Amino acid sequence: MNRRYLPGPGILISVGAVVAAVLLGIVLIALIGVSIGDALDAFVDGTIGSAYAIAASVNRSVVFALVGIGFVFANRANLTNVGGEGQIALGGIAATAVALYGHVAELPLGLSFALPMLAAVAAGALWGGLAGILKTRAGTNEVISTLLLSFIAVWLLYWCVQSNALLRQPMTNSATLPESLEIPDLTKLPLVTADPSLPLNIGLPLTLLIAVIVAMFLTRGTVGLRLRAIGLNPLAARRAGIATERYAVAAMLMAGGLGGLAGALMLQGDQYVLKDGFSSGYGFDGLVVGLLARGSVTGVIASALLFGFLRSGGISMELQAGVPSAVVRIIQGIIVVALAGAVYWIDRRGTSR
Amino acid sequence: MPDSLLTLTGVTKRFGALTALNAVSLDIAPGEIHCLLGENGAGKSTLCNVIFGIHPPDEGVMSLNGVPYRPAGPADALRLGIAMVHQHFSLVPDLTVVDNLLLGQARGILDRRACAVRVEELSAEYGLALAPFARIQDLSVGERQRVEIVKCLMRNPRLLVLDEPTAVLLPPEIAALIDVCRRVAARGCGVMLVTHKLAEIKSAATRATVLRGGKTVAVSSNPAEEIGVLVRAMIQRELGPLGHAAEAALGLSDPTPAEARAAERPHDIVAQIDGLSFLDSQGVKRLDNVTIEIGRGEIVGIAGVEGNGQSELSAILSGMLRPTGGLFSVQNTDLTGRGPHDVTAAGVGIVPEDRHAVGCVTAMSVAENMFLGRLRAFSRFGLLRRAAFHRAAADLMQRFDVRASGPGAAFSSLSGGNQQKAVLARELTLSNLAFLVAAQPTRGLDVGAVEAVYGHIREACRRGVGVLLISSELDELLAVADRIVVFYRGRIVGSCPASPAYRERIGVMMSGQPA
Amino acid sequence: MISAESAAVFIGSSIRLATPLLMGGIGELVSERAGVLNMSVEGMMLTGAFAGAVGSWATGQPILGLAFGLLAVLPVALLQAWLSNTLRANQIVSGIGINILVLGATTLGYREIFGERSSDEIPGFGKWAPPFLGDIPVFGQAVFLQVWIVYLGLAIAIGTALVLRFTAIGLAVHAAGMEPRAVDKSGLSVRGIRYGAVTFTGLMSALGGTFLSIGDIHTFTEGMTRGAGYLAIAAVIFGNWRIGRTIGACLLFGAATALQFQLPAMGVDIPNALLIMLPYLLAFLAVAGLVGRQSAPASLTVPW
Repeated sequence: MNRRYLPGPGILISVGAVVAAVLLGIVLIALIGVSIGDALDAFVDGTIGSAYAIAASVNRSVVFALVGIGFVFANRANLTNVGGEGQIALGGIAATAVALYGHVAELPLGLSFALPMLAAVAAGALWGGLAGILKTRAGTNEVISTLLLSFIAVWLLYWCVQSNALLRQPMTNSATLPESLEIPDLTKLPLVTADPSLPLNIGLPLTLLIAVIVAMFLTRGTVGLRLRAIGLNPLAARRAGIATERYAVAAMLMAGGLGGLAGALMLQGDQYVLKDGFSSGYGFDGLVVGLLARGSVTGVIASALLFGFLRSGGISMELQAGVPSAVVRIIQGIIVVALAGAVYWIDRRGTSR
Repeated sequence: MPDSLLTLTGVTKRFGALTALNAVSLDIAPGEIHCLLGENGAGKSTLCNVIFGIHPPDEGVMSLNGVPYRPAGPADALRLGIAMVHQHFSLVPDLTVVDNLLLGQARGILDRRACAVRVEELSAEYGLALAPFARIQDLSVGERQRVEIVKCLMRNPRLLVLDEPTAVLLPPEIAALIDVCRRVAARGCGVMLVTHKLAEIKSAATRATVLRGGKTVAVSSNPAEEIGVLVRAMIQRELGPLGHAAEAALGLSDPTPAEARAAERPHDIVAQIDGLSFLDSQGVKRLDNVTIEIGRGEIVGIAGVEGNGQSELSAILSGMLRPTGGLFSVQNTDLTGRGPHDVTAAGVGIVPEDRHAVGCVTAMSVAENMFLGRLRAFSRFGLLRRAAFHRAAADLMQRFDVRASGPGAAFSSLSGGNQQKAVLARELTLSNLAFLVAAQPTRGLDVGAVEAVYGHIREACRRGVGVLLISSELDELLAVADRIVVFYRGRIVGSCPASPAYRERIGVMMSGQPA
Repeated sequence: MISAESAAVFIGSSIRLATPLLMGGIGELVSERAGVLNMSVEGMMLTGAFAGAVGSWATGQPILGLAFGLLAVLPVALLQAWLSNTLRANQIVSGIGINILVLGATTLGYREIFGERSSDEIPGFGKWAPPFLGDIPVFGQAVFLQVWIVYLGLAIAIGTALVLRFTAIGLAVHAAGMEPRAVDKSGLSVRGIRYGAVTFTGLMSALGGTFLSIGDIHTFTEGMTRGAGYLAIAAVIFGNWRIGRTIGACLLFGAATALQFQLPAMGVDIPNALLIMLPYLLAFLAVAGLVGRQSAPASLTVPW
């Protein structure tokens, strides 16, 4: 049959939700009184208008993709990681601390930027793994614990950049901002090309590599099969000899670690300075990207690109055409709500066959 | 014959390709106890659900007191005086009896005291002892069933439907339940008693209807006398004669040992259960100092009413539950408190009591279910070698006669019997199988599948595997096991050879009295 | 030593800061007890705060603002109920989606409606102290002089406790979260109960939201709830799904927030971030099982 080569109802509904939400966004822009032409021009400028814009959008997408891949991975074991925001924050804190005070700047072989990244992965993994351990030991719902851990992490970061004893830059005068010093140049991520007008850093190839590996193990690997069994029926998986608790913790470690890596990429590839509001909703957007993907890593890449470009375009529309960035929020909200509700029709179709 | 209370004419209900009910006609009169008989899967529960308004019939009509009856849901049925005690209780565990009774009945401010008085009245009237302010979670299964019955009686029903009410009860509790049914019927209410056990009909039924494959195959207005006819109608099959164990399980024939079984075998012990105890999180002793030795090629049956520690025992033996005391070893390997992985590695096969909860992942394929614990054998660099994997599964499916569209078929698409055969295939092909724990292995299976399951278990026995068979069907144990150990409240009350001669004694032991 | 005056101010501001949490928390408690983990409390509060501010600003009547806030939350609550009951959507996902949507919509609406006038004060409720209590020296004014919504909130909290304990509705709500099948078999509608519970959460959250905008500070700012909705959920968890303990948790969280203002004034140097984090940390410790055994409703997040 040809059926399997056609896009499934899930993909069609995802695409439909996105298209409808974007159309609604355009209507909103018109209602606000901004000329659609201006808004679209600004959107194009900010997304694909220049090499720089493309690179900036892609770098955003990379962050979303990492959080999304982590979400999909943990979700295979029926674990819902909504803690991306906190994992990014922790990753940012760890990467900053190591880059500034870990004496890594002079290390050879790329260790100068790799060690802060590894520290970020470890910190994010700790934050995610904590939720995993609580889930297996105390039966704590991971949605609630990761959410609470996110709030804690965001305020931890705030504390770090407010306190002189932690990561705040030395106070030289009363106008010194509550943020860290800029990390040394050698700890910043190297660019893929030598062309500074296309600032794509090594985060992109790294993320693509991770995506390919995770996709392979989820679809064809024994790990993917075991995670799926745990997700579908943890008791039966345990009876079959699978160390379900270890896998659950590992899945959350993985999700958290990827969140931490995302934080490192944001810090070392883009912001270079840690300040309040560092994670700025990237974790929640990454969660939405993971949801949109409906369990597929390819889907994560596609929706991460969508969200990366949408966010860049939104910023550009705000600056150039005066369209409030809230419009992009609304579009995102509608997409999430529509997809959450659409599961009903997708599942119904799935069972009636 | 008195006027009909509820009449069903030509009721048909289909689920997809399956015709669960095929032109069933039936009538129930006030004051009678009408037994609905049939094997598992004969359509009894579907019929109940149609009557109770859960499923609308696809064809046919129902009438209640001569008025067309077309319930849109259970609420309609209840309003019109039809009450039902379901197989699965629907009680809120952390609420009291009174609060459960008031749920859905009371409006506004709860009058718990008046309800308690009413409970006591009903208790006295029908002989249903109940403490009104006890919490459901502290009650026994039999008491919970009484709560369900009182819940129905409080509505003053005209028709009371009881779906398989005796499956969970002790013999004396069954007698008490039948007595309640009689008292209810004596007050002019119609009672429909659904069962697949025959002893109950003899003592209770005024009429009986037999369902098989969704059709009415026999009706009797004198069931006590015509029991043989009813039974044959119930189990008659197109294919071959019945196996002995299956006949015994249905009470059709007296279970006599299939082959000469030596009372005492040379005891070459494969599995040793020594003083096993288990305290649950509430501090209740679920298993108390249980000691059993299982020899090579021996089948030891565990008898007892469900909920007397059997589930805990099989959970501990399969490594899913850590005992609070005692030892368990197989072929001199200590397995006490070891996880499922180690238990399997030591050569213990497990057929879990609840197939869907523990035995398989229904949303995964047959092949995946068969080899979930043995994926390493089919992987290279952590990636699965699909072709080899499916070949091996197809081979097992053929050897164990698992009928499915292929190794990639979803496990949920298999019939109950084929699912159980697949589980057996997995457990019996452990390379070093020495000991098999089979808990309720034939529950919910049709007669053919029951025979196949016992065939495979006996075959394993001949290879020297020791078997612990846990079943709530005494007749089944008498037909299959070599020796029977009786459980009551987590303790071993006694043991005896598996011979029909001991049936009475085992029955006594099941109610807790050492014989 | 802490002076009586500063203790009184502290208690008063704890109660004031706990009020929006209390209302959201009571609402959330009812919906969680009925089996719906309603993550959109945040969005519902924000809706109430925004619509209350708009209504009050447009009419000049805070009471009409309140009514407007309660009315405006209904579509949000019904959307949440529809998604999580009828469409059987993932309750967490739908809640987060609604929060994003509401944050975007209120921010946009605020810019469009208020625009340059954004610094204007919006007419809000005055304060009131109950007779006698208000006359107590030192404490009277500092503790009991509150916007009347505070007292309304307390009254509703007590009323909810009584309804849950003593009425058929309370029984049905509890059963819907614990054993929905029993509710269904008893002829009641599980979905109906859950729709009602979510709507109640919406109304309570909106009340808490209007208290924030036109009760407490008399203005609206973008995303002004700042996670209060999530804190309300944390309070329910911390309170182990019991109403008394949930109210206690709200007061505790309110006190922790009040400390942020109190401690620096008293010269105590505790990092501000730590105090803001404290409620989340406490709730986290609670769900981690460090504060007694948790007993969530058995069917929480399971659609019927």
